[in-house]
Amino acid sequence: MSTLFGTMSIATGALGAEQGALDATTNNVANVNTPGYSRLQPVLVENDPITMGSVTYGAGVSLEKLQSLRDPILQTRIQEETQQQGQLNAFVTAMQQAQVQFTTSSGDIGTEIANFFSSLSQLSTDPTSLASRQGVLTAAGNMATAFNNTANTLTQQRSSLDLQVSQDVSQVNVLTSQIASLNNQISQMQGVNQDASALVDQRDVLIGQLSSLIDVSTIQSDNGLTLTTSNGTALVVGGQSFALSTQTNASGMQDIYSQGSDITSKIASGELAGLLQVRDQTIPGLLSNLDTLAAGLANNLNTANALGYTLVQQPNGTLQAGGNLFVAPPASGQGAASTMAVAITDPSLIAASSDATASGSNGNVANLSAVQTQAVANGQTPTDYYSNIVYAAGNDVSNGSAELNSSQLILNQLQDQRGSISGVSLDEEASNMVQYQRAFDAAAQVVTTINDMLYTVINMGTLTG
Amino acid sequence: MSSIRINPFPMPDLLSALENLQQEQSTATLEMGTGSTINKPSDDPAGAAQLTLVNAASSQIDSYQQSIGSINSQLSTADSTLSSVVTVLQRAISLGVQGANGTLSDTDRSAIVDELSGIQSQLVSLANASYQGQYLFAGTAETQPFVVDPNAASGVSYKGNTGTNFVTIGNGYQVQVNVPGSQIFNGTGADVFQGIHDLIGALNANSGVPDAVTEVTNAYNYVTAQRVFYGNAMNQVQTQQTFLGIEKVSLSQQDNTVAGADMATVASQVTSDATAINATLDAIGSMPRTSLFDYLK
Repeated sequence: MSTLFGTMSIATGALGAEQGALDATTNNVANVNTPGYSRLQPVLVENDPITMGSVTYGAGVSLEKLQSLRDPILQTRIQEETQQQGQLNAFVTAMQQAQVQFTTSSGDIGTEIANFFSSLSQLSTDPTSLASRQGVLTAAGNMATAFNNTANTLTQQRSSLDLQVSQDVSQVNVLTSQIASLNNQISQMQGVNQDASALVDQRDVLIGQLSSLIDVSTIQSDNGLTLTTSNGTALVVGGQSFALSTQTNASGMQDIYSQGSDITSKIASGELAGLLQVRDQTIPGLLSNLDTLAAGLANNLNTANALGYTLVQQPNGTLQAGGNLFVAPPASGQGAASTMAVAITDPSLIAASSDATASGSNGNVANLSAVQTQAVANGQTPTDYYSNIVYAAGNDVSNGSAELNSSQLILNQLQDQRGSISGVSLDEEASNMVQYQRAFDAAAQVVTTINDMLYTVINMGTLTG
Repeated sequence: MSSIRINPFPMPDLLSALENLQQEQSTATLEMGTGSTINKPSDDPAGAAQLTLVNAASSQIDSYQQSIGSINSQLSTADSTLSSVVTVLQRAISLGVQGANGTLSDTDRSAIVDELSGIQSQLVSLANASYQGQYLFAGTAETQPFVVDPNAASGVSYKGNTGTNFVTIGNGYQVQVNVPGSQIFNGTGADVFQGIHDLIGALNANSGVPDAVTEVTNAYNYVTAQRVFYGNAMNQVQTQQTFLGIEKVSLSQQDNTVAGADMATVASQVTSDATAINATLDAIGSMPRTSLFDYLK
């Protein structure tokens, strides 16, 4: 049979175990609002039984450990979705700013192109009027300014995106070095069998932040956690972090380097990917379309103006032929939109006449007006081509926003799932507390009872004596 | 535990739902304010692109209409000038018929010649008529078209050219806006100035007057025929004006179909968003502020 002292030790063991379990509850309640906290669950185990003769006695309970409840696969899914969301968010935010340029207004490119051709219409009814001619020059100037402003605003936006890229890279470096140092601490604690769940939670939060910036894959191995980008560039290997750096490239933008190799084009998700996509593809694409349109308009209008005659009379009595209406765009077309400018200030130099001997002719105005229906860019008329640019800008934002919304939805669901596993419920903690408290009370009662029994046993001799 | 554990923190979900609703409401409010469902390209990329085209077409129609306005005045000035020319020529013909009467005294004929000389200068001035500083009958030249010239057979020579101007008043639709003065006043065998010049000569010589009257009559007929051009042109531009008006209405309908906000729908959207926002706020507000802890005593 067991001894009273043996029973006593079972009861005191139970007191310790319940108190430890209550510790878990206390810690859970304390961290109810801590972001990224995973709730602790006490793991209680039955002690090995003791067999004496034919009877096997239970040996009570032990608190084996406090287990942190987390789902690593879910955590990875959350990281992936956070990366996706970071990318879409950066893309949509940047493109929302860019599309403002293409919103129909009193001064957008589409309106100014239409105004310019209207001014030519006016000129055709009164080809010698200096007022009508001035009207054409003013409208041409406004059209050029609309191109300049749109292109310049897009270019400025590109520069501010570039600045953001550099800031994000510094942020990534701060996070990876913090993660590396946590890795170190975690593996040291685990090495001496200590519970590192608090640090693991912290690390998960940091990895979450890192995921919103850049694409991160996590690999858990015996010697700690390795973080790489999806193309395999190491960010953190165990206790060591590898900082990213930036270098200015030929077009004045910052390229991202890791240990000497350029990984700019290899960043697949996260805010950086979104920023780079707009900076290196979407905005340059829009700018190049604007250049094509500006160059096409300027060249065709110059050609048309050269077909006619100005109001300026030459010594031989005939009228001077028309020259360039717009400054000739660069041969490559690159920068045509930002540098578009009217070449003349004298309204009499508009070649409205198609007759070298008659300044009252309006025959060449038709040639100038015809540019409106000519294929000036990629086989399209100016208005058609411009409307395609509007479509492209709007479509980028609209698609991006739709993807962003669904990504947000998925992320919410994943966070819900995470919450259902790792989140602290105060009701649950309260009920656990009551349960552990009652168990503690009961164990304490047992101790009291055994104590009474021992007293009885100790005083047995006195009673008989 | 056997039941499915739920996320004890539904707050982020509710907040994100609230954010979406607020965004929806602000979009609807903007639509209500602007009356347009497309306030930025991303609202409807294809619609925004179409709107650009509709706007361009609409502004083109505006400019055609403006052109029609100014050429219409120009055409009607030319037409009424020619109407005066015709009236004056009628008077010259009746004077000629009067002068052909053999019983007239020299004094009477000289009175007729005086009046005809007046008519001659009147015709020169009519033929040099201008509209907003532009000679109506100089072709495309900018010089005064008809100049009194003693060396010319008719006493008047033409300094304009034979150019014509066309103005576009519709897609691919051009209308001629002038007839060169030489074509109106210097018809072969029907030259206005030659006719008057010859009539005056015949009356002074008192011979060949009926032939000279025939010449003036030919000129009269010829100018009348040329005048028809202006009548037709005015008709043409007025018809086109009507057509453009209809076209403009159809474009604004198209604009409305692409981007017009249906006020009833938008207004009810704003209201239903407001209801949903309130409901979400209620849901957030009615989330339990107490837990089991509050009941343990």
